[in-house]
Amino acid sequence: MSAQPKILLEAENVSRSYGTETILDNVSLQVRAGEVTTIVGPSGSGKTTLLALLALLLEPSSGTIRVAGRDAGKLSDAERSHLRNTFYGFVFQTAQLIGSLSVLDNVLLPALLAGKTREKRAVARELLDRLGLSARADFLPHQLSLGQKRRVALARALLLRPAVILADEPTNDLDARRAAQVADFLLGLPADGYALVLVTHDTQLAERAGNRWHIHEGKLTPPVRVTAVPTIRHEKFVLQTTNNETQ
Amino acid sequence: MLRLIANSLLRRRWQSLATILGVALGAGLLLAVFLLYHGFEQGLERGRQRLGADLLVVPGNATVDPDRALFAGSPLSVYMDKKYADEARKIPGVRRVEAQFFTQSLKLECCSVGTESRLIGIEDKVTQRLAGMSANGREKLEPDEVIIGSELLGDVSKPGSLIELLGYIFRLGYRLEPTGTALDYSILMPIDSARDLAAKSDALKPVWQDAGDPHDLISALLIEVDDPSRIKEIGRKLEDLGPLKVIRAADTFQRLKRLMNAFVFVLAAAGVLTAIGGVVYLLGHFSSVAWDRKGEWALYRALGATKPRMVQLVVGESVALALGGAVIGLPLGYGLYRLAFTQLSAQNSFPFVAPGVALLVAGAAGALLLYGFIGFLSAAAPALRVAQLEPALTMAQGDID
Repeated sequence: MSAQPKILLEAENVSRSYGTETILDNVSLQVRAGEVTTIVGPSGSGKTTLLALLALLLEPSSGTIRVAGRDAGKLSDAERSHLRNTFYGFVFQTAQLIGSLSVLDNVLLPALLAGKTREKRAVARELLDRLGLSARADFLPHQLSLGQKRRVALARALLLRPAVILADEPTNDLDARRAAQVADFLLGLPADGYALVLVTHDTQLAERAGNRWHIHEGKLTPPVRVTAVPTIRHEKFVLQTTNNETQ
Repeated sequence: MLRLIANSLLRRRWQSLATILGVALGAGLLLAVFLLYHGFEQGLERGRQRLGADLLVVPGNATVDPDRALFAGSPLSVYMDKKYADEARKIPGVRRVEAQFFTQSLKLECCSVGTESRLIGIEDKVTQRLAGMSANGREKLEPDEVIIGSELLGDVSKPGSLIELLGYIFRLGYRLEPTGTALDYSILMPIDSARDLAAKSDALKPVWQDAGDPHDLISALLIEVDDPSRIKEIGRKLEDLGPLKVIRAADTFQRLKRLMNAFVFVLAAAGVLTAIGGVVYLLGHFSSVAWDRKGEWALYRALGATKPRMVQLVVGESVALALGGAVIGLPLGYGLYRLAFTQLSAQNSFPFVAPGVALLVAGAAGALLLYGFIGFLSAAAPALRVAQLEPALTMAQGDID
């Protein structure tokens, strides 16, 4: 039996409230290297808040977030910033490109902020090439289509070779063909060792991704494995759900 | 980081340009004020040094502007008997008496500002004092040697060069340092040489027919007393010598000093208000920037910029704008100063010394430092606010322009 993949990210009994309103309630979750973790749920259910907490963009009201085994609550701002820069790659709901920076410079933005531009230029070009955007490296974002912008955001997320990719509704606003392109690329990442945390309400994408955690009114339900089990009493198949941490 | 700052400024090029121009005007004005202030201050001090006297005595019929005569070195085309110099020396309490002889005005095509140059005879004591004001000055002149003002005969600078004056050949002793007064357009020679030259001048013959032999004449006396408290008393005794007009340097100096102080106050107030205006302008600019661009700042935070890095980015932009403005403002300020200087030089009515290169460099460096600090100060508070932005803001925003 092979060893479990390494846990990169872990939320333990995490809650987040704004005033008296509880957005996330006692949520626990593990993200492992080389795996996809899909979080699905309706709008306003707390998906994005959970992603922000996992990404160290927010601090939990209670509970613990562990990043590579370290308690994030005990990290300094500089350490958290460093992790956001190097450990995580973000794909936001909108591409969030800087309008005046060229495509190449937008991809290089994490390196610009870390002062590593020179050594990452070749990586940025290679990523653009992989994503079919090398001819548009010098374009400005307003000269790109929505799908192209999203791919630039993907390249930016991968630039510093992070351990975890966090994607918030990555196929949002895209037509079926472009959504499929983005999904193909994202879902191929775990094969390269990336951990992918996918927040989506796109059922097609969620089905393809698997390992679906459901969130509803701030409560997170683990993935379910669907198995067919014969019962004697009814002499027919019923669905039985079981916890499945690894899938 | 520099790339991000440069990009951010270029992205908002009209906004940046407006800010830079606003700063440039302030920095330029400040530099011009600084240079003018020092020019006046040095001019007044130079005037005092050059004068070195408590009293100026001129013929009673002379129409003299005391300010110009005392501090601006304006020559006096009037004459009186040289015996008054000897009689003045006999008055108890008089320490020093120096005579000057004004020969005539010369129109030299060489002189750029169109001001007439003047030929003045001076005694050895005056030569000695002027020598102390020039780096290569000499304390005694030969009969055929001249000292030339800083603005004359620009192509002649080597001591010993030959100069033709009214048909006679003279040698250059040395060139005076700039004074910002009529002295810059004067040629000085030993008083006896000046009288000889005047006596030989056909153009001046009618003058000597009325006034007498120029060898027996002087134009003005500069008198220094032993005890400043006796200036009034000695002044009265000088007036008793004959039809003479006595001008007290202290009175004139004080009046001029008050006038200058008022002028300097206005200039300094303008400079300080300009600097404060720069702070307020940049503070307003960056306060609004902190708010308007919070999406961009939050994205930077989300992608790993630390709080100190955010402060550096915001303050860096402000300092870059302020320094950029100052760099553009410096030549503007110098131009403004040159304009004022040219006007003042043409008037010769106020002592003014053009600041040297060292002061110019110090002024420019000071303006850059000041505006760099203003840039820092203006953006410090907005930068701290930006650094406190929640990076999660970026999760809920649209694209960034």
